[in-house]
Amino acid sequence: MKNATVNLRNLVILVADPSSYWRRAVYGILRSFGANKVLEVEHSMDLIRILSSQKIDILLCDTQIHPHNWLKLTQMIRRNATNENRTVPILLMSGDTSERIVRNARDAGANMVVAKLMSPNILYDRLCWIAFNPRPFVDTATYFGPDRRFKIEGYPGGVGRRKGDKVIKVAEEVGPALAQDDIDNLFNAAKKEPQDA
Amino acid sequence: MPENPAPEARIFFANTRFERMARRPGGVPREKALGEAQAKIDELKSDFRVWLDQELHKLNAALSKVESDLTDNASLENAYRNCTQLQAVCGAMGYELVTFVAGNLCKIISTIMTGAAYDKEMIDCHINAFLLAKTDQYRAMRPEQVPEMASGLRRVVELAARTSIAPVD
Repeated sequence: MKNATVNLRNLVILVADPSSYWRRAVYGILRSFGANKVLEVEHSMDLIRILSSQKIDILLCDTQIHPHNWLKLTQMIRRNATNENRTVPILLMSGDTSERIVRNARDAGANMVVAKLMSPNILYDRLCWIAFNPRPFVDTATYFGPDRRFKIEGYPGGVGRRKGDKVIKVAEEVGPALAQDDIDNLFNAAKKEPQDA
Repeated sequence: MPENPAPEARIFFANTRFERMARRPGGVPREKALGEAQAKIDELKSDFRVWLDQELHKLNAALSKVESDLTDNASLENAYRNCTQLQAVCGAMGYELVTFVAGNLCKIISTIMTGAAYDKEMIDCHINAFLLAKTDQYRAMRPEQVPEMASGLRRVVELAARTSIAPVD
């Protein structure tokens, strides 16, 4: 992957998080990345209102969003065949990255889960990943969302750290070490399980 | 022909606007973007203490409401949400002990949400632990560095789990 720079200018990014402090942090990070159209919502009601009234380009949603549950929201976005945001990339941010949460997120149609000890380079790399490694969508009677059997051949911008990854140049860690690789592996590991798609 | 053929799947590339636009040349160079983002995070750290005090105040208020009205599920849910936010954000900001106490209190509140009795002493010992954990002297410590406090709080969770209908993680 030669081009590891993501261009966020004029992309509509929606950040949904009940914590004002965290929204400020994510907003600041995205602005530093060049984003100039960042929308923020605190509650799921506002999230639904925006999703049903305008086109957004990517959703960053915390799993503590309320009153609607994040899982229901993700399923709602993916299952609503008439909504123009049906295929929007969904990046979930979660303080709880237990296997149950990550599997549920994957099976609901989220593109990615980011552990909420997020450092700027982790978010940057995931945005690059979504942009430069588009996953095919799968539409079946029981699932609509990014292909859960997608094989990660190498992360853009040097995220890859496993033996089989193609891109080797790894960015220097800025924040605390995370178990993000494990989260990514859970998305990848779906190929080993029986699937209906 | 197999007896149970796999369900048909339509597979396609959405080619989203994000994918198209984000790949355009002219974005902020990676190193510059990361440097500026880290500077923003550092700026925010100075406000963190204020935020932490506000969140602890909100948590106290929500728990006080529950104490005065044990059927107040909305306040209980607010307290739980508050606690999970404390756990996530404090973890990111390096307040390890607050993260631990918040995680512990989340478990206690979970047990109450699943039918365990509200035990004021269990709550109070966590509130007191927060006050200690957020001080400069303790905030960066790991639970292993304050074994008495950590084991005491863990025991409280075990006790709470015994009175709960659902198992505690």
